[in-house]
Amino acid sequence: MKKHKSMYAIGTSVMGLSLAGVMLLGGPQDVQAKKPVSPAQAEQERQELLKAVLMGDALWHDGSLGTNGLACGNCHPDGSASNPHTWPKFQTNLGKVGTLREMINWCIMVPLEGKALPTESDKMIAMEAYATFMHDGVPIALGKDEQHGANPVAGGAGYQLPSGVTDLGAP
Amino acid sequence: MEKISRRNFLGMSVKATAATFVAGTFAPASNSFFGLAGIAEAATKKISPFTFAVITDAHLHDIKDHKFDRILERAVDDINKMNPAPDFVLYGGDLGQLAKPGELDKGKPILTRLKVPYRIIPGEHDWYLDLGKGWKDRFGTDHWSFDHKGVHFIGMNSILVDDYWTGRSLTPDERMGWCAELESHRCGAWGVGSEQLDWLEKDVAKLSPDTPVFIMTHSPLWDYYPRWNFQTRDAPEIRQILSKFDKVIAIHGHVHQVVYNSMGNMTSAGLLSTSWPWPYPNVQMPYPSIRMNRADPADIYDGLGGHKVTLAGDMGLGGTLNYQVWSDLLPANVQAGIKL
Repeated sequence: MKKHKSMYAIGTSVMGLSLAGVMLLGGPQDVQAKKPVSPAQAEQERQELLKAVLMGDALWHDGSLGTNGLACGNCHPDGSASNPHTWPKFQTNLGKVGTLREMINWCIMVPLEGKALPTESDKMIAMEAYATFMHDGVPIALGKDEQHGANPVAGGAGYQLPSGVTDLGAP
Repeated sequence: MEKISRRNFLGMSVKATAATFVAGTFAPASNSFFGLAGIAEAATKKISPFTFAVITDAHLHDIKDHKFDRILERAVDDINKMNPAPDFVLYGGDLGQLAKPGELDKGKPILTRLKVPYRIIPGEHDWYLDLGKGWKDRFGTDHWSFDHKGVHFIGMNSILVDDYWTGRSLTPDERMGWCAELESHRCGAWGVGSEQLDWLEKDVAKLSPDTPVFIMTHSPLWDYYPRWNFQTRDAPEIRQILSKFDKVIAIHGHVHQVVYNSMGNMTSAGLLSTSWPWPYPNVQMPYPSIRMNRADPADIYDGLGGHKVTLAGDMGLGGTLNYQVWSDLLPANVQAGIKL
């Protein structure tokens, strides 16, 4: 089984804690439903999300969810054609209107010959976070029957990373 | 003038034969396309129609009774049933998944069941466990050429990358794992490298421009989507070396999909796998009508297939590639075969 500990190391020193304290107040509040979080807190929340994305990326590629050596990334590199912006929708293999998580479980059970994940598990949430992250900014198209590639990521020299990911990290 | 180029062509053919024949690469006792009759025909410059088959990207796993075994076996059986039989078979790389001996040892006997000779090039999944040693032990040289019925065939190893493992002290398994993921931002962009470029230059030096050339690489010879290594770093140099020819046809594996491009004197077609289909990257395709439908993941044979290539021509090469599929994968315009 392939080791895939850390696909993306995520920058951690974006905002000093002392600075965060200063920035707790201020900013326009008239359009907010609740008190806005500080930039520091927003960044912290972003980092939590990226941790889930990172975990999802690893699960998506490392083959640990199946029994036949295959992984989601075999057919869905960069989360392509997982179409997270189109769910829930009627899906032929599910035979009903289902969710992306249900489809992920179908893929784990059929092509990967593995065991379904609990739909509220951290692993499943991480998988959804990864697929959605790779389609960030793609308009919702509920039920649309299309095969959407992931957001294009430049390659070649430097092999640029998706936005929000700052480093490849150590192997 | 015609006499001179004819003699050169003959000389080249014999030389290429001697240089590229490696024991074990051809199925024994069936190397007729490699014989004198073929060379004599080559000298006429007229290409009587002939057919060969292409399969690629089996990605065999070192797991007993794996489903990909059955798919490759079915493709081989289908080729053996072709009537008339193809002159030979080309295999475009990624026979294995992690370059394990068990994968290559499983794949070679399946390919040996082919009733006609085959020639094979490696993919990255055959290579980065032991940097090609196991593959070369079983299949010989990773780049070659031969002449068949007037067409000069070339195969090259296009998946060579800069060393990313020594400085990081990666184990062989880690090295393979980094390159086995399609989103290959870790192993970097690959190509054929300067040694093979030199070889190619010499290989075609004495061929006259009206010699039809057919080249197979694992990855496309154009920049399709570099992040997934849908590219070959030194493809511009390859195209430059081959630019003197009237017509060059290129085919490539790696993309597991129907895709087509045309650049100068070169046409290029992507091949289906016998493992899984890749989706299209979210970039503009040069010929968007030449594509395949979405596959049903419940059908292990959908999205996959083999290929029949027919080449013919009087003063210039023409060809047709027919994707051979087991499902409703192809739009009507592709079902009819694509012109190469």
